[in-house]
Amino acid sequence: MKKLRISAAGLRGVVGCGLTAAHVLDFAAAFGTLIESGRPVLVGRDPRASGAMLREGVVAGLLACGHDVTDLGIASTPVIQHAIRRMEAAGGVSIGASHNSAEWNALKFFGPRGTYLSTAESAELLDIYHLRKFTFAPWDKVGTLRTESGAVDAYVDDLARVFDFPGLRGFRVVVDCCNGTSALILRRLADRFGLDFILINERMEGVSLAHEPATTPRIAGLQLAPLIRPLNADAGFLFDVDSDRLAICTEEGTPLSEEMALPMIADYQLPKSEGRIVITNLSTTALVEEVAARHGARVVRVAVGRQATIDALAAYRPDQVALAGEGTGAVMMPQFRFVYDGIASMFAILSMMRERGQTLSRIVAAYPRYSILKGELPLASQRMPALLMELQRRYRDGRANVADGLRVDWPDRWFHVRVSQTEPVVRVICEQRGEPPVALFESLLDQVRSLA
Amino acid sequence: MPRREHLLKIGVSGIRGVVGEFLTPSLACAFAQAFGAYVGPGRVVVGRDTRRSGPMLQHAVCCGLLAAGCEPVDVGVLPTPTIQIYTGHTRARGGIAITASHNPPEYNALKLFNGAGLFFNTYERSELLDLYHQSEFRQAVNAEIRRVRRDYETPAGLHFERVLRHINTEAVRARRFRVALDAVNGAGSLLSRRFLEQELQCRLHAIFVDPDLPFPRVAEPRPDTLGELAALVRSSGSEIGFAQDPDGDRLAVCDETGRVLDNDDVLALAVDAALRRLPGDVVVNLTTSSVTDDVARAHGRRVYRTPVGEANVVEMIQAVGAAIGGEGSNGGIILPAVHLCRDSYTGMAFLLDRMAETGLRISELAARLPRYFRRFGQARYEHGRLGALMQALEDQFPEAETDRSDGLKITLAEGWVHVRSSNTEPLLRIAAEARSEDGAERLFAQTMRLLES
Repeated sequence: MKKLRISAAGLRGVVGCGLTAAHVLDFAAAFGTLIESGRPVLVGRDPRASGAMLREGVVAGLLACGHDVTDLGIASTPVIQHAIRRMEAAGGVSIGASHNSAEWNALKFFGPRGTYLSTAESAELLDIYHLRKFTFAPWDKVGTLRTESGAVDAYVDDLARVFDFPGLRGFRVVVDCCNGTSALILRRLADRFGLDFILINERMEGVSLAHEPATTPRIAGLQLAPLIRPLNADAGFLFDVDSDRLAICTEEGTPLSEEMALPMIADYQLPKSEGRIVITNLSTTALVEEVAARHGARVVRVAVGRQATIDALAAYRPDQVALAGEGTGAVMMPQFRFVYDGIASMFAILSMMRERGQTLSRIVAAYPRYSILKGELPLASQRMPALLMELQRRYRDGRANVADGLRVDWPDRWFHVRVSQTEPVVRVICEQRGEPPVALFESLLDQVRSLA
Repeated sequence: MPRREHLLKIGVSGIRGVVGEFLTPSLACAFAQAFGAYVGPGRVVVGRDTRRSGPMLQHAVCCGLLAAGCEPVDVGVLPTPTIQIYTGHTRARGGIAITASHNPPEYNALKLFNGAGLFFNTYERSELLDLYHQSEFRQAVNAEIRRVRRDYETPAGLHFERVLRHINTEAVRARRFRVALDAVNGAGSLLSRRFLEQELQCRLHAIFVDPDLPFPRVAEPRPDTLGELAALVRSSGSEIGFAQDPDGDRLAVCDETGRVLDNDDVLALAVDAALRRLPGDVVVNLTTSSVTDDVARAHGRRVYRTPVGEANVVEMIQAVGAAIGGEGSNGGIILPAVHLCRDSYTGMAFLLDRMAETGLRISELAARLPRYFRRFGQARYEHGRLGALMQALEDQFPEAETDRSDGLKITLAEGWVHVRSSNTEPLLRIAAEARSEDGAERLFAQTMRLLES
């Protein structure tokens, strides 16, 4: 596994083994060179120990470029994005490696209004970084640093405008915070609105997380799911370290497939929204199409990765889009300015339970069953075109989409084969309405093996 | 070689440059990481003067230290001697002061200290520089990364206590001295007020004590830059005026008439005061006035001479166990009993102590010193010609005593001449001193004629 990744998504790596202070300084200076000056730049971080080092470097790089910096301290990515818009900042930097394990860290960059950088802006940021021609301010124009502690409260205020918190007081909810920033927000929310939240792994941790911070059913099954029935809870949620993704457990203690979050939130959101477009990637469940069709909406499928979703969002008027998301539990809603926000997603699910007066397991049971199989195999990148051509030839009877590898759709099943952006492996995903498409999945894996 | 302006200098004395295009946060971070790798994982004290670029560089330095697995202790805005004393006292691995001392405001620099709070010696400096150039830094992983600690409270008290135990504090307090202060809006802005008003009970008239404002005058405290202090002394009827540089290691003194004393005389007064209270000899550099020799002789003590440079003086003080040392021309007073560093607070305390003890005015104390006349100048440095020049100079004064440890110093019965090449610029610096004004002028002119021929 690579220990450092510098891409359009920013800077990510294992601190000390790939990601160094020098990378941080140069990336911060590149971002400071990219964005307009005159308004402050916000900085926040997740509780990883290395965050202290990255923060010093980011602050130094931005100050040196003449930007005033406002430090939000420990803050989740959605809180930082919210604060950028509220404080009319020039942009922001989120320090945190989200769903990666504790020894990783990363920098994510945001423009004014808290938006993710466009593909063109990301490319320019990388160019500046690689050239290392930074526009440092002269000595008397170096920026100044201040701190701001009200970001979480302002964010909570905004959530309260969208969701009926008093109406959710009847629910008992168990949340696995994975020692991350969700703890900060949920504790505040529960105290302010009298919500019956039971938080586990609440202590924010810098070094040893209670478990891998992935929002998958397997992880949700470890510590969260077994607590739900004994505590007589109505639902359980699991967040990654910076709470942009979530996993869901029913009141019976059953972890749901990560694929379920997007279709459920779409089902809740579409009747409330004017927008009739749902944006998702090619690897996400076809249940999204089925739910969208019920509400007279359509699904736009884009390549895997946050950047493709962001570019797709930019290609429509904001009121045309009802929501966007992916099968990893990351969902963006227009009320929240289209940022991946696990906590908003959780409240959408709880509101759905309340409005329908149904338990979570009942809501889930009402959806048709889809079975998804996911696998990966090593394959040299140069063999990929041959593989895709071979698969396209063999599965001519389906509808092909080549926006990102190859996706082939039939009326009740589909597969998606693509090269990972992070490793030299091929990912194979196969889904069928009803029973798992085992034969198709095995045959796809065999074909990858035969080329390897 | 053509004369150049050095906007960035990375060398054995650390890293110094014009902030912006030259001294960048990346450089400061990398240098701090090399420093952290050199001193090892543990506490490293980080403080700064009041320059606008200070916080930016401090964050870059802390980034590099954290990346090396060190635990930075942020002591905020403090004079360099206070940072050094705190570093030594708390047994930290080392310390970094972010200050370009008396250089103009567009400059900044990192001053580096070892675990004893002393400037790195020659060997330590070159080892660190090698480490920096090799870029083989220790890279701490997540579990090894510490947090930045803060201590804004203890350092000042620690420093004051160290200084005041060597003087008769009660006697000074009882006099309620009327004192004027010019802290150049530097690191002494807050500390010096506290020191003079609260610790020494002076009636203080202070200017340029706002650490948030830029330097109001040339940062180096010299007679020609201290007009405002002189005016303040006169208008407030102060008995003495003190001026600091931005990082509070250098001191200049103004008497009650508004006359700025010669730095060599200030050092001599401090030496006199110190020798009355402490055993041991005196160490000064070759360019320091003979007035210090006269003072030491009166106490029956010896004077050791070193090449110019604080580190040289400090090393000699350690070697001979001296009571006091300093460099006359730049206002540096080093009292090892306080700490082996230049310290303006030691200077202030000893002068006030002497005034309290004798009941004399500062002008009267200065007038009691033997009178010397000095001339300073500079000439272009030409590398290939230096040896011939030095020899020609020596030949001109066949009866003189010579010292070649830092350029050439020629000592005659009537006075001396010292010619040396600058450590920072391609220049020769010339100093001449004699008992009479004519004598100083003669020595100086004779030397300059030769150098310019």
